[in-house]
Amino acid sequence: MDLITGLLQTSLLAGGVLALAALGEVLAERVGVVNLGVEGLMSLGAITAIATVVAHPNPALGFALALGVGLFAGMIFAVATVYIRANQVLCGLALTLMGTGLSATIGKAYSGMPAPATFAPVAVPYLSKIPVIGPAVFSQNVLIYLIYIILPLALHYLMFRTRHGLNLRAVGEDPAAADAAGIPVQRIRFWYVAAGSALASGAGAYLTLAFVPSWSEGVIAGRGWIAVALVIFGGYRPLNAVMVALLFGLITSLGFVGQARNWPIAAPILSMLPYLGTIALIIVPVLAWHKMRRLMAAPASLGLPYFRDVR
Amino acid sequence: MSGRIQRLPSAHPTVALLARAAAILLALLTAGVILAANGADPLKLVAQVVKSTFGSRFGLEDVGLLVTPLILTGLSVAVGLRIGAWNIGAEGQFYAGAFAATGVALFVPAPDFVLLPLAFVAGGLGGMAWILVPTLARAYADVSELITTLLLNFVAVLLVYYVSTGPWLDPDGHALATTARLPCELPEFWGAVHWGFPLAVLLTVLVAAGLSFTRWGYEVRVSGSNPQAARYAGMPFRRHLILVMLLSGAIAGIAGMFEVVGTVHRLQGGISNNFGYLGIMVAVLARGSALGVLAGAALMGIILNSGIILQTQGLNVSTVLAITGLILFFTAIGDELSHYRFVRNETASV
Repeated sequence: MDLITGLLQTSLLAGGVLALAALGEVLAERVGVVNLGVEGLMSLGAITAIATVVAHPNPALGFALALGVGLFAGMIFAVATVYIRANQVLCGLALTLMGTGLSATIGKAYSGMPAPATFAPVAVPYLSKIPVIGPAVFSQNVLIYLIYIILPLALHYLMFRTRHGLNLRAVGEDPAAADAAGIPVQRIRFWYVAAGSALASGAGAYLTLAFVPSWSEGVIAGRGWIAVALVIFGGYRPLNAVMVALLFGLITSLGFVGQARNWPIAAPILSMLPYLGTIALIIVPVLAWHKMRRLMAAPASLGLPYFRDVR
Repeated sequence: MSGRIQRLPSAHPTVALLARAAAILLALLTAGVILAANGADPLKLVAQVVKSTFGSRFGLEDVGLLVTPLILTGLSVAVGLRIGAWNIGAEGQFYAGAFAATGVALFVPAPDFVLLPLAFVAGGLGGMAWILVPTLARAYADVSELITTLLLNFVAVLLVYYVSTGPWLDPDGHALATTARLPCELPEFWGAVHWGFPLAVLLTVLVAAGLSFTRWGYEVRVSGSNPQAARYAGMPFRRHLILVMLLSGAIAGIAGMFEVVGTVHRLQGGISNNFGYLGIMVAVLARGSALGVLAGAALMGIILNSGIILQTQGLNVSTVLAITGLILFFTAIGDELSHYRFVRNETASV
């Protein structure tokens, strides 16, 4: 029972990083832009958060500034990919290289230092007393509820239940038709890509403020790329993305539990699990359920820049 | 003098080349401004780089050692791009190749002239094995190779870290967290630069010739620019895709073999210096030409070497990575902008 509680608690914590980044990527990909800069944005957010709480020990401030930095970097990326229409794959890789390189350079001064202020767990009255799931689910930091409940539900409602959501999905599916219907294609793409980048950066801040609580070079460790893969696996839907992220949190925490309990498997081998799991989970469903393909398909114009005059 | 801006489907080569040069200059300028804002003197840094790189033979030898793996990782990514596959897992295939070559070198008792070719083949096969699953997934299930190749990088890093600190740890304990010194090494070619350098250049020329002058190369290029047209013309698209991706992996694996057998002589974590990721940059700069791969690798080698020279000035490998990203970003923008031209309106317009 102790094992299950611990596993669930770590899964929620670890999955939260992926969930927030994946939600950001859902926003960008739904309007038709592949943002491969998630890894770099998460690094920027992680180091921004640590640098902020070292100066002012306030985790909320660190998280907010990380969102701001992500928004700014996302706007630069969006100017290049949406308005200048440069190659999205190249710009995304560039953003990843710049983000990881820059944050590692800045991060030299903060390496290994524990975060002086973190998002502390808050026990929800009564609910946290429930056996097994109480301590795991209802004694978490406040961001957990934002990431797993409020944000995905809000985004799901926005995307699938409002006129604006219909518009933004139209921009990702067929920008020419959307343009003809009077929807401002470029403006919608720009702001959703920027907002998605802010969430990715926030995911990095969450990592250093609530999960790992310290900075070290390579602390993101490919989580940005896993998040990009989760979006595909989750069929570009916010609710699915969050559930899949939780599943990956579970895979990650199996590694932690294995190390803590001295399973006869070397730690680096256990650390391979999330990456191998991601690869398996994006290949197997395609082979297994052909009928799911259309339902879970990518937006039709994903990755294609929109030229009004060239049709 | 009225006119309008027109977008061309493909950029003029001269304009594209100029846009690239401008992008690189702008990126370096931006980096210089940022460094200056942080209290460094960019001009002094440049002077120091030029002096230590070109002022002595040792500087050029250092660059040569860095350029060798960059040529191969760049070629690896460039070959994949020819058929429209993004192999951003050259980093992982590099590690896999180094791992396989080390295994052969450590555990096969044989004289050097047998061991070196064996290690070479093992390196290639290691890289190939590392890209096998992404290749089959792309060919048979249409799963994007972007993510699968990249995620395997992390697995390869962990694998090399595991063996070099665990089962293959130097039994004599001369060095921490590395394997024992390999019993064989690539002979030297020019100063400290080993024979991997001319072999890398040769491999590049061979692959480029194969792509340019053979029927196979023609079909690969057609498949890369328009898969539908290739299938319609009866070209075996899937077979070409599989072969090219495996070749791409093998080349990156050979880069890893050269690095461990020629330069480092011990397998250890972090052996790759980000060569795989910088290879993406080399391939993008090359724009599909073999000579371009050599030029791009030379440029990236100099930039990487600058980062190492300037370590005392507070710069490091991560800073180089950031500057590389900046160059890539400006290059992507320059590539797109070079598609535009200004057209003067004809007098007949009303």
